Amino acid sequence: MEFVLLQAVFLPLLLSPVAYLIGRNYGPTYATWFTFGLLLYCSVILINAALGGTYEEHYPWTTMFGEFGFMLDGLATPFAIIIYVLCTVLALYSKPYMVHKFEELFKEHYHQNATTDGQTTAVVESVALQTYVNRQSGLYFAMFLVFAMGMLGTVLSTNLIEFYIFFEVMLIPSFFLVAFYGDGNRRRIALQFLFWTHVGAVVLLLGFLAIGLSVGSFDFVDINEAAIDPDILVVSAVAIILGLGVKLAAFVFHVWLPYAHGAAPTPISALLSPAMIGIGAYGLFRLIVEFMPQTYGDISIMLNIWGVVTMFYGGAMALMQDDFKRMLAYSSISQMGYLLFAIGSFSTYGLAGAEMMYVSHGLGKGLLFMTAGVIIVQVGTRSFSKLGGLASKMPITAVCAVIGALTIMGIPPTSGFMGEWMVFYGALETAIEEGNDLRSLMFALGLIATALTMSYILWMLKRVFFGKLPENLQNVKDGSWYMLAPMMVLAGFTIVVGIYPDIFLGHIMPYMQGVMGG
Amino acid sequence: MADFFGIPVSELNVWLIWILPFAAAMIIPAVGKFSKLSTGRVAVAFALMSAISAATLFPMALEAHEIHHQVMWIDAIGLKAGVLADPLSIIMANVVGWISFLIMVYSTGYMKGDKDITRFWFWMMFFIGSMQLIILSDNLLQVFFGWEGVGLASYALISFWYRDKKKDHVGQEGRSALGVMEYFSPTHAGMKAFIMTKVGDVMMLSGMLLLFLFAGTFGFKELVSDTAWAVEMSAQGLLVPAFVLLFGGAMGKSAQFPLNEWLLEAMTGPTAVSALIHAATMVKAGVFLVARIGPIVFALAAAGILADQFFEIIAWVGAITALLLATQGMVNPEIKKVLAYSTGSQIGYMMLALGVAGLSHQYVDGYTAGFFHLISHAMFKASLFMAAGSLLHVVGSRFMTDMGGLKKQMKKTYAFMWAAGLGLMGAPFITTGFWSKDAIFAAVYEADSSWALPLFLIAVLTAVITAFYTTRMIGMVFFGKNSKHIEKMESEGNHIHEAPRSMWIPYGILAVLTIGIGLIGLSAEEELHHLFEEYLVHSFGIESSHYGGEESVLPGFLSGLNPVALGASLVAFATGFGLGYIFYIGRWVDPAKFVNSNIFFYSMHKLFLNRWYLNAFVYWGFVVAPLWMARGIWRYFERTAIDTGMNIGFEKAVGWSARVVQGTQTGVSQSYLYIFGAGLLFVVLILLL
Repeated sequence: MEFVLLQAVFLPLLLSPVAYLIGRNYGPTYATWFTFGLLLYCSVILINAALGGTYEEHYPWTTMFGEFGFMLDGLATPFAIIIYVLCTVLALYSKPYMVHKFEELFKEHYHQNATTDGQTTAVVESVALQTYVNRQSGLYFAMFLVFAMGMLGTVLSTNLIEFYIFFEVMLIPSFFLVAFYGDGNRRRIALQFLFWTHVGAVVLLLGFLAIGLSVGSFDFVDINEAAIDPDILVVSAVAIILGLGVKLAAFVFHVWLPYAHGAAPTPISALLSPAMIGIGAYGLFRLIVEFMPQTYGDISIMLNIWGVVTMFYGGAMALMQDDFKRMLAYSSISQMGYLLFAIGSFSTYGLAGAEMMYVSHGLGKGLLFMTAGVIIVQVGTRSFSKLGGLASKMPITAVCAVIGALTIMGIPPTSGFMGEWMVFYGALETAIEEGNDLRSLMFALGLIATALTMSYILWMLKRVFFGKLPENLQNVKDGSWYMLAPMMVLAGFTIVVGIYPDIFLGHIMPYMQGVMGG
Repeated sequence: MADFFGIPVSELNVWLIWILPFAAAMIIPAVGKFSKLSTGRVAVAFALMSAISAATLFPMALEAHEIHHQVMWIDAIGLKAGVLADPLSIIMANVVGWISFLIMVYSTGYMKGDKDITRFWFWMMFFIGSMQLIILSDNLLQVFFGWEGVGLASYALISFWYRDKKKDHVGQEGRSALGVMEYFSPTHAGMKAFIMTKVGDVMMLSGMLLLFLFAGTFGFKELVSDTAWAVEMSAQGLLVPAFVLLFGGAMGKSAQFPLNEWLLEAMTGPTAVSALIHAATMVKAGVFLVARIGPIVFALAAAGILADQFFEIIAWVGAITALLLATQGMVNPEIKKVLAYSTGSQIGYMMLALGVAGLSHQYVDGYTAGFFHLISHAMFKASLFMAAGSLLHVVGSRFMTDMGGLKKQMKKTYAFMWAAGLGLMGAPFITTGFWSKDAIFAAVYEADSSWALPLFLIAVLTAVITAFYTTRMIGMVFFGKNSKHIEKMESEGNHIHEAPRSMWIPYGILAVLTIGIGLIGLSAEEELHHLFEEYLVHSFGIESSHYGGEESVLPGFLSGLNPVALGASLVAFATGFGLGYIFYIGRWVDPAKFVNSNIFFYSMHKLFLNRWYLNAFVYWGFVVAPLWMARGIWRYFERTAIDTGMNIGFEKAVGWSARVVQGTQTGVSQSYLYIFGAGLLFVVLILLL
C-alpha cells in the first residue's frame, strides 16, 4: 500500500472540517463515530505498516529544507502506535464527557444571558442547548483530529523543520481545546500553557537552526552522517534539551503542567499527559541519543540526576494534592522523571526501558485520567476529600483504575514492570561498568522513588474507591459504555504488553542496539 | 509418553499447577455474572485440580528426578520462560496446593453469603496461582512476576472488606504508642502490607539485576552450571551484597525484622485469607526463595568463594525475628494477632535453620530442618487459623477476652486446636512441630560458627515463649468461665454452637495430620533428609559427609539425635507449657495482678504490647516525616518559588517592561524629536571620536 503514512497523518487534518460539519448538522454521536472510525482506520494502516519492520515514505518538499518524509522505525513505532491507539479510544470516550461539559458550559453561558434577555421558555432552551452542543461537538472533534495529526506527525518526521512544524501544530488545537472546554480559569491557563510550551519550542528551533545551518541540511539522514562542529553541537544540544525539557515538564520547567493537565477537558488531559509530553522524550532519543552520541555520553549523567530529582519532586507534590487531576498531573511529572532517568542511563536496556515506560505510562496514565473523567461525569467532583468507597458503585471503573494504577506502579503483569526493570537494569549496568558511585546512588534513589510512586497511587485508590461511601454518593452509577469500553481496551492492552512485551520490544531493542552500538 | 502440542504430559502438569489457578481466576468473574454460588465451586474444583497436578509429580520427587522445560518468552532480549520441578519445588507445590485446597473448602463455609464473594474467589485463586508460579519458575524474573502477584493479591485480600466497617478493623480503638494509632482499617492495612513488602521487593529487584548483569541470566539452572559470574562478582565485592539484596525480598514477604510490621495488620482480611497468607502462600514465599538460592550460594564454596556473611545475616535476621515477635505474641489480646506474631516468629526459625545450614559443613542438616519446619508449620498454622476463624465466626469478636470457657460449647474446635496448638508448642514425640524444632536446634547447635551458641540460646528461649503463648491462647479461649460478651449473646438468644462441617473438617484434617505425621515424625524427617541430600548432590554438587564412627549417646529410636538439642526442646516445652498452665488453664495466678506486681514486668509488658515501639518508629520515620517534608516543599517551594515566582513573576516582568516601553510612547512629537536629536548627536560623537 502506498502513501500509508501520508494518509495516517493527513487524513485527520483533511477530514477535520467534515467532522465539524457532521457534528454541527447531526450531533455529537455521529461526530464521535466518524472521528473514531477515521482514527481507527489510520491506526490500522499504521500498525499494519509497522508490522513489516522499518517503513519510510519520502515526498519532495522545498529545496531549502529538504525532503518531507515519514519514517516508522524501531523508535517511532511504539510512540506512533500508542498515540493513535489512545486517540482512537479517547474519541469514543470523549462523547459522554464532552456532552456533559458542553451542557455545563451552556448553563454558564445561558445564565449570563438570562439576566439580560429575560424569560425564555423551556422549549427554546432545549433547542438552544441542542444547537449549542452540536456546534461545540463539531468544533471539538475537528480540533481533536488536528491534535492527533500533530502528535503523530512529530514522531514520524524525518526532517528538523518538519519536526518543528508538527511540534507546533499539536500545540494550537490543544491550546484551543483547553481555552474553550477547560475547567476553572481556562483562558488564562491555556495561555500559560501556550506560552511555556511555545517558548520551549522556539528554544528548540534555535537548536535546530544551529545544527541545520552548520550541516547544510535539515534532513535526519544527512545530520546523522555529518560531523558537526563541537561548539555548535554543545550549543544546539543544550538548546534542544532545554526546549524538550519544557515539553517533558522536567523539574523547574514543570510550571505549566499541573495547571494545563488539571484544567484541560479530561479526554484531552488523557492525551496531553501520557502521549504529548512523552514526545519530549522521543525528541531526546532522536535528536540527542541518535544524532549526537558523543554529547549524549557526556551529558547522560546529568539527565540521570535531573530525572531522579523530577521523580522525587513530582511524587512528593502528588502526595499533597486533593484534586484528582492535579494529582495525576504531578504524577506525570514524576513519570517523566523516570523517562529522563532512563535516557540518562546510557545503556541499551535503559533506553529500551525508557521507551517501554512511555508505552506503559501512555496506557496507565490514560486509564487513570479516564477514571478521573468518569468520576467527574458521574459524581461531579474531583476532590479526594469528597470521594470515597466508590468501588461498590462503579466496579468496572474501579477495576480499570486499579489496572492503570498497577501499570504506573510497575507491578507485573502490567506493562509498567517491563519498562521498570529494564530502566533500572540499564542504570545499574552503566553504574557498575563505569564504577561510578554517583550513578549507583542515582540507581538506589530511583528505586526508592518507586516506593514513593506506590504510596501516592495507593493512597489515591484508597481515597477514591475504598473506605466509607459518603452519604451523598449513595446513588452514583458506573459510567456509560462509551467511557468504560475504551478503558477496558486499554486495561487489556497493558496486561497483554506486560506478559508479552515482545510486541514493542521486538521493535525497540534492535533500534537501541543499533544506536548504542551493540 | 503421551504429549500435548509437543509437550510431554508430565511437563504439561508442571505448567498446569500454576496455570490452573490463574485460569480459574479468569473465568470466575464470568461465572459470577450468572451464579454467585458456583464461583466457590469453580474455585474449589480448580484448586483441587492444581493440587492433583502437583501430586502426580510426587513420585518423581522421591526419585530425585527433575523436569526443566522452557519456552521462548521475550525474544528481543533472549529471555525464556520455564518451569523447574525438582524435589524442592515439587514438595513445596504439594504443600501449598493441598493446604490451599483445604482452605478453599473452608472458605465456602466461612464466606457464605458475602455479597462480594466473586471478588474473593478471584483473588484467592490469583493468590494461589502466583505462589505456585514462584515455586515452579526456573528463573528469577518469572519468580518476580509471582512475587508481585502475591503482593498484589495480599493487598486486595487484606483490604477485602474495603468499606472499613468498625468490626473489620484490627487493634484496640483509641490505643496508641508514641502518638501512633494502634487501630487499623482494612484499606489502611492493605496499603501498609503492599508498600512494606514492596520495599523488600525493590531490594530483591536490585539483587536480581546485579545477578543478571554478571551472569547474563535469571535462570537458576544456568546460575549453577557456570559459576564464572560468581568469580567476577566476588572479585568486585558484589556477591554477598547481591544475595543479601535478594534476601531483602524474602524479608519483606516473610515479614522478617525489620520489615515485619505489616504482618499484624494483615489480620484485617477474612480469616481464610489469613490462613492462606500464613500457612501456604505469602509468607512462605520468602523461605522458599532462601531455600532456592541458598544452595546456589553454598555450592560456590566448591569454587573457593565463601559467602558466610550471607548466611550469618539470614541466621541473625531469623533469630531476632523469632524472639521479637514471640515476645509480642505473649501479651496481645486478639487471637488472630497472637497467631500472626507466632507465624512471624516461626518463619524466623525457618530462616535461622536455612542460615545456619550455610555455616556448617553439613548443609543438608539445616536445610532439611528449615524445610521440615515449613511443612509442619504449614499444617498446624493453617489449622489454627481456620479454627480461630470459626471462633470469630461464632463469637463475633476478635478479642480472646470476649471468649473463655468455650470447651463445652465447641468440642471439636477445642480438640483440634489442642492438637494443632501442641504442634506449635512442640509437644514432645507426638507432633511434627517437635521434630522439626528439634532438628533446627540441632542444626544451630552443631553449626561451625562462633555465633552458634547465642543463636541456640535465642532459639530455645523463643521455644519457651512459644509454648507459653500457645497455652495462654488455648487457656483464654476455652478454659475458665464464659465471658460477659458470650453471656450477653446467649441471653439474646444467639447460642454458641459448633462451626458448620465445611469449616471444621478442613482444620480437623490438618490437626490430625499434625499429630499423625508427628508420630512417625522422625522417620519422615529422615526420609526428607535423605531426599534433600541426594537433591543437593545431584543439582548443586553439595556433598555431605556421613557420620562415621561417632557414638550415639541416646538409646533406641532416638539414636542419632543431638542430646543437647533434644534436652533443650523438652525443657523449653515443659517450662513454657507449665507457666502457661499456671496462669491461664489452672488460673492459680491472675496474670494482670502479676504484671502489675513490679515495675520490671509492667514495663516489659508495655514494651511488648507496644510492639517494641517499632511500629511507631516506622510511622514516624517513613510516613509522618516524608509527608511533613513534602508539605514543606509544597508550601515553601512549589507554591512560592515555582508557581508565584515563575508564573506570576514572568507575567509581572513582562507587564512592567511593557509599561516601560509604553512610557516612551508619549505621542508628543517634540519629545520624539528630542530623542531623535540626542541619538543623532550620540552617533556623530561616536563617529568623531
